[in-house]
Amino acid sequence: MTEKPRAGWGHVSLQVLLLVYLLLPLAATGLYAFAKNWQNTVLPKQWTLEWFNAMFTDMRFFTALWNSFYLCAISVALSLVVMLPAVFVLTVYFPKWESFMKGIVVLPYAVPGVVAAVGLIRTYSSGPIEIAGTAYILIGAYFVAVLPYMYQGIRNSMLTVSAPELMQAAELLGAKPIKAFLTVVFPNILPGVMISTLLSFSVLFGEFVLTNMLVGAHIPTIQVYLYQRSGESGHLSSAIGITYFVFILLLSMVLLKLGRRLNRGTRP
Amino acid sequence: MSAYLDLRHISKTYAQTRVLDDVNLQAAEGELVTLLGPSGCGKSTLLRCIAGLADLDGGTITLRQKDLTKLPPRAREVGMVFQSYALFPNMTAGENIEYGLRMSGRSKGERAKRAEALLALVDLEAKRDAYPHQLSGGQQQRIALARSLAVEPKLLLLDEPLSALDAQIRKNLRTEIRDIQKRLNMTTLFVTHDQEEALTMSDRVCIMNRGKIVQQGDPETIYTRPETEFVARFMGSYNVLSRRDAQQLFGRIDGSADSFALRPESVKLLEADDDRIDGNPERKVVDGTVHAVSILGTIVRYAIDVSGVRLTVDRLNDGKFIGMNAGRSVRLSVDPAQLLSLEREGA
Repeated sequence: MTEKPRAGWGHVSLQVLLLVYLLLPLAATGLYAFAKNWQNTVLPKQWTLEWFNAMFTDMRFFTALWNSFYLCAISVALSLVVMLPAVFVLTVYFPKWESFMKGIVVLPYAVPGVVAAVGLIRTYSSGPIEIAGTAYILIGAYFVAVLPYMYQGIRNSMLTVSAPELMQAAELLGAKPIKAFLTVVFPNILPGVMISTLLSFSVLFGEFVLTNMLVGAHIPTIQVYLYQRSGESGHLSSAIGITYFVFILLLSMVLLKLGRRLNRGTRP
Repeated sequence: MSAYLDLRHISKTYAQTRVLDDVNLQAAEGELVTLLGPSGCGKSTLLRCIAGLADLDGGTITLRQKDLTKLPPRAREVGMVFQSYALFPNMTAGENIEYGLRMSGRSKGERAKRAEALLALVDLEAKRDAYPHQLSGGQQQRIALARSLAVEPKLLLLDEPLSALDAQIRKNLRTEIRDIQKRLNMTTLFVTHDQEEALTMSDRVCIMNRGKIVQQGDPETIYTRPETEFVARFMGSYNVLSRRDAQQLFGRIDGSADSFALRPESVKLLEADDDRIDGNPERKVVDGTVHAVSILGTIVRYAIDVSGVRLTVDRLNDGKFIGMNAGRSVRLSVDPAQLLSLEREGA
C-alpha cells in the first residue's frame, strides 16, 4: 500500500483558510438568524427563535417551499428522462456528434437570464403556445438552464465507466441493447447521475432571475418569497436562508445515501 | 472441405484510411491463430468486425458454414476478451460469469453450477464474491476469460488481453490461456503486438501490416523464414541487408532479390585469430570490430561492424565471451545458406 504524503503546516493552513472562506458567511448568517440583538459585539448579545417562529407560522413560506420543490423536481426529472437516453445514445453510438452537442449545451451560459426571460415571455405570451406566467414556461426554462449540468455529469459518468465497452461486452454475452443499458451501464453511472441531479436541483432551487421574471408572484418560489420578505428584517431573511440551506443539505444527504445503497460494492 | 472460420475479402475504411484491405483468413476447429502486427495495422479492427462491433465495407465472415456478416453481436456465438477486460463493476466475479447465462434464460442453479466450474477452470474459486476492483489485473483477466467462455462460444476472440499486465504475470497467463484453449478445443483468434507471445502461444501466426496479412504460417516458419523486409524487421533483431551489403559479406549472390535477412544467432562469433569453419567449406570468415554489447538475460547481443556493415550477433550467455567489449577485433563465421532472400514489400 502506498503511504500518504505527510501534510505540512502550509497544506493545513490552506485547508483551514478554504474552510473559513466557505463557512464564515454561512456561520454569520446562522448566528444572525438566531440573534435578537447584534450590533457592536463580536457575538450576539441575546438569542431568539423569534425569526424562525415568524417564518414557520407563515403559510406563504410552506407554499413557496412546496412550489420550489415541485417545480425543481419536475424540471430535473424531465431533464433526466430526456437527457439520460440522449447522452447514452450519443456517447455509445454517435461519439462524432459530441462536439456539436457540447456547443448546444453551453448555450444557456451564453444567454443572460434577463434576456432569456424577456425572449421567452415575448414568444409564449401569444400564439399557439400561450403559457407565459404559468408553471409550464418555468419548467421549460428550468429544463434548459440545467442542460449543461445534466449533460456533463451524465457524459462524464458514461466515459468514466467506459460505457461503450461495457455495452459491447454485454451485447456479446447475449444482452439486447436496452437490457445491457439497464443491467450494466445504468447501475454503474448511477452515482454520477445522482450528483448531476442534485447539482441541477440545487441550482434551480436557488434560481431567482428567471423565476421572478417568468412567473413572479403568480407562483412564489422560496427565492421569490425570500426577496419579498428581505425588506422586513435581515434576521428573518437569514432564518429563511438557513432553513433553505438545511433543506438542501438534508435532501442531498438522503439522495446520496440512497445512491450509495443502490450501488453498494462497486467502488472501493 | 470448408474452414471452421472463413474470412473472405474483408475490407474496412475509417475516414478515408483503408484499415483492412482485402483480408482473407481461414482457421480450423480448435486452432489458435494469432494476429500479430504493429499498432494501427488493423488487427484489433479485424477482431471487432468478426465480433460484429464494427461494420464491414466488404467481404464475408463465415463461422461453421453460418454467414455472420450481417448478424448483431449477440447472435454470432462469439466470445471476446477485451484489452481492458470490460468486467461489469457492479457485479461480483460470479455474477459477471453468470451474466451471459442469465441473458439466455438459464436457471439460477444451472448458472451457479457453470460459474463454479469456470471459476475452478481459471483457478479463482475463492474470488466468486469479489468485485472487479477487489481483484488484481491478472485475476480480472482470468474472470473476463471465464465470462466469455460461460456462454460456450463457437469462436473466442482475445484482443491483447495480456498487454496491461506485468512481465511475469503475462508469461504465466499465456501458458494458462493456451492450456485452457487446448483443453476446451476452442477455436481462438488472438491479437497481440508481442512477437514472443505470438510465437509461444500459437498454432499459426498471421503477420499484419497496413491492413493486410503479409505472411502466415506456423511459429517456426514465421521466425526462420521471413518473406519480406517488414516481417524480418518486425520478428526481432534480424539483420536486414541490402544486396550491396550482402555482397560485401558473402561475395557473389545469385537471384534478383534486393534485400536479404540473416538471423543474428546464425552468425558465429570467434576470437580474432580463430578461422574455424566447423567442417563447412562454404562458410565465410570475415573480420570485424565490436561496436556495442548488450546482455539480454540468456542472450548476449553484439553489434559488430564488418567493412562498413553493422551486424547483430546473438550468443548464448554461457560466460565464454567475457571480455569481448566494444572496440575489440573479432572474427565472424557466416554460412551463406542462412542468408534469406526477401520479397519487395507489397510484391
